[in-house]
Amino acid sequence: MTLHAQSASAAHPVRMRCAALIALLLPLLVGAVGEPAAPGVGPLLDRLPPSWRDDRGKTLQLPQLLGARIFITMAYTTCHRVCPVTMKRLEQVQRELDALGTSGEFLIVSYDPSNDDPAAWRRYRVSHHLFRENWHFLTGTPADTERLARLLGFEFWHYDEHVMHDYRIVALGDDGALRGAIDSSHGTWRDLL
Amino acid sequence: MKRQLHAITVGALCVLGTYCPAGLVSAAENENDRVTALEQKLDRSLKLIEQLTARVKELEAQRAGTAASAQNVPPAPPAESSPQIQQRLDSVEQQLTQITDSNAARGGGGAGVPLHGFADIGIGNHTANEPGLQGANVGALDMYLNPQLGEHTRALFELTFEVDQQGQVAPDLERAQIGYQFSDAATVWIGRFHTPFGYYNTAFHHGQQIATSLRRPRFILFEDQGGVMPNHTVGAWFTGAEPLTDGKATYDLFVGNGQAISDGEIDPRSGGVDHGGAIYGGNLGYVFGETLNGLKMGVSAFRSKITNDQPYVNFTRVDNVGVYFAYDTDRFEHIGEYYRFSDSGLTPVGPTHKSSAGFLQLAWRLPIATPYARYERAALNQSDTYFAAQTEGMSYYRDAVGLRFDIDLKSALKFELGHTKNTDRLVQEWNDVLMDYAIRF
Repeated sequence: MTLHAQSASAAHPVRMRCAALIALLLPLLVGAVGEPAAPGVGPLLDRLPPSWRDDRGKTLQLPQLLGARIFITMAYTTCHRVCPVTMKRLEQVQRELDALGTSGEFLIVSYDPSNDDPAAWRRYRVSHHLFRENWHFLTGTPADTERLARLLGFEFWHYDEHVMHDYRIVALGDDGALRGAIDSSHGTWRDLL
Repeated sequence: MKRQLHAITVGALCVLGTYCPAGLVSAAENENDRVTALEQKLDRSLKLIEQLTARVKELEAQRAGTAASAQNVPPAPPAESSPQIQQRLDSVEQQLTQITDSNAARGGGGAGVPLHGFADIGIGNHTANEPGLQGANVGALDMYLNPQLGEHTRALFELTFEVDQQGQVAPDLERAQIGYQFSDAATVWIGRFHTPFGYYNTAFHHGQQIATSLRRPRFILFEDQGGVMPNHTVGAWFTGAEPLTDGKATYDLFVGNGQAISDGEIDPRSGGVDHGGAIYGGNLGYVFGETLNGLKMGVSAFRSKITNDQPYVNFTRVDNVGVYFAYDTDRFEHIGEYYRFSDSGLTPVGPTHKSSAGFLQLAWRLPIATPYARYERAALNQSDTYFAAQTEGMSYYRDAVGLRFDIDLKSALKFELGHTKNTDRLVQEWNDVLMDYAIRF
């Protein structure tokens, strides 16, 4: 009898903790065992619009790049002030990756899909001597362009044929998650490595 | 046993307390589907409670050392949930990090129409566009609204505050356009827009920060600054571009209210016309592709029936034909335009007067700055009522050299040395030493 009373006494805090734990974690448990993941959950790469057309006219599926480090920027072919600076920074990142013996995929997404077709990007490649195979010059639909810009923090607006924008590069890790971002006010290209 | 039941009851009440208010609210809203979903959640919750109760019993049995009790306890499935909970927590944490980072980068915006614009301040021995004034001057505060309305509807509004020669601040709705974009090849705008003649007038607008040079060519200054071209039209504008084998064709057609000349300036008649005059015209350009990448060439033309505010109203038919080119690359920005006027008096009927105007601007984009040089010339027939009625409608030439420094991505400091000579009406000449600090936001 004494033994039983001691057992019950010791079990009481355990039971109370279990009860409290049930109440606190149940919303998470219910979601975990029975319902699909809420929108927005998952690596950033999975939430980006998946399908883009590259400068060869082929479709690039972003999920296929999972497992590689990815550097993303936005630009447009007739930009002559900001985008050349961005390309220089990306080239610095590429040189550093080469020096470290590591690889990465570079995505340059057009701010101006109505003008930057594959032929325009091909000309851009040639005129800027950017021939690396791991550099992808991409064009999407206006809606996908807006969505990618929103998700990655690229702010831009159209002033007639000018696209007003800043310098920004976003890095994703090989798990597709956000690794870092730099812009004209924050960070240097070394922060992306 | 009573304490066990007490613990289970506490847990169940907490669970029900978590979910019932939402269920009641849903019921009150008659959202049957939500109620059904909540019932399903509750069922799952009860099952979990049963499983966890069993787990509690198992733990009690272990602690009491009673092996017999443990035999009656089913396996404990909640233990399987632990990795899932951890995974979910990691995922939520990652999501929050990403959202926070992205929102921070966007400045927390997302609601309403973003307000953008331009502003500039000048200093010089003369002001940029008024040689009779000198010292510091407020250039313009340009507010630009570009609401995103839908897949096809477009709109833009540009409201500018400028300081006039008397120092008074004057607001001006420079552009007010609403349009429908059928495709990249065809957009129709109605409203007040920049007349699509030549290259400069539709490539560079009121925001001075985007222009390489410190000031526009004098003859295509905006109307209230003394320009002699009808820079703004109020009417309808069809514009688009079509890719070709090696390059792209651009085209514009427009029609609108015929301008008037009031108080020595061209008035676009934004409120409508009272004499029935009209302006119409077009622009055809070609943007080169593989070969001569960066080069655009084109022709433009317009005809306008323009009135003035003289006691006996004159009607003048203004015919203008122009050619232009722009070579725009990472290293160069070269622009040239040339226009011919053939203006005829309609009321009273008069002879045709020939005039011309043009400019050539060469700029080199260097890493630290962009130097530029420009020559412009206007030979305007003073017997032409159209020019004679304009305060600044005299012939002139101007040569200028300048330097643009991009302080950062949103601000530029520009310097210009210029020499201008008016060659008829009131012959005079002067030299300019100008500075302008221009920003965008």
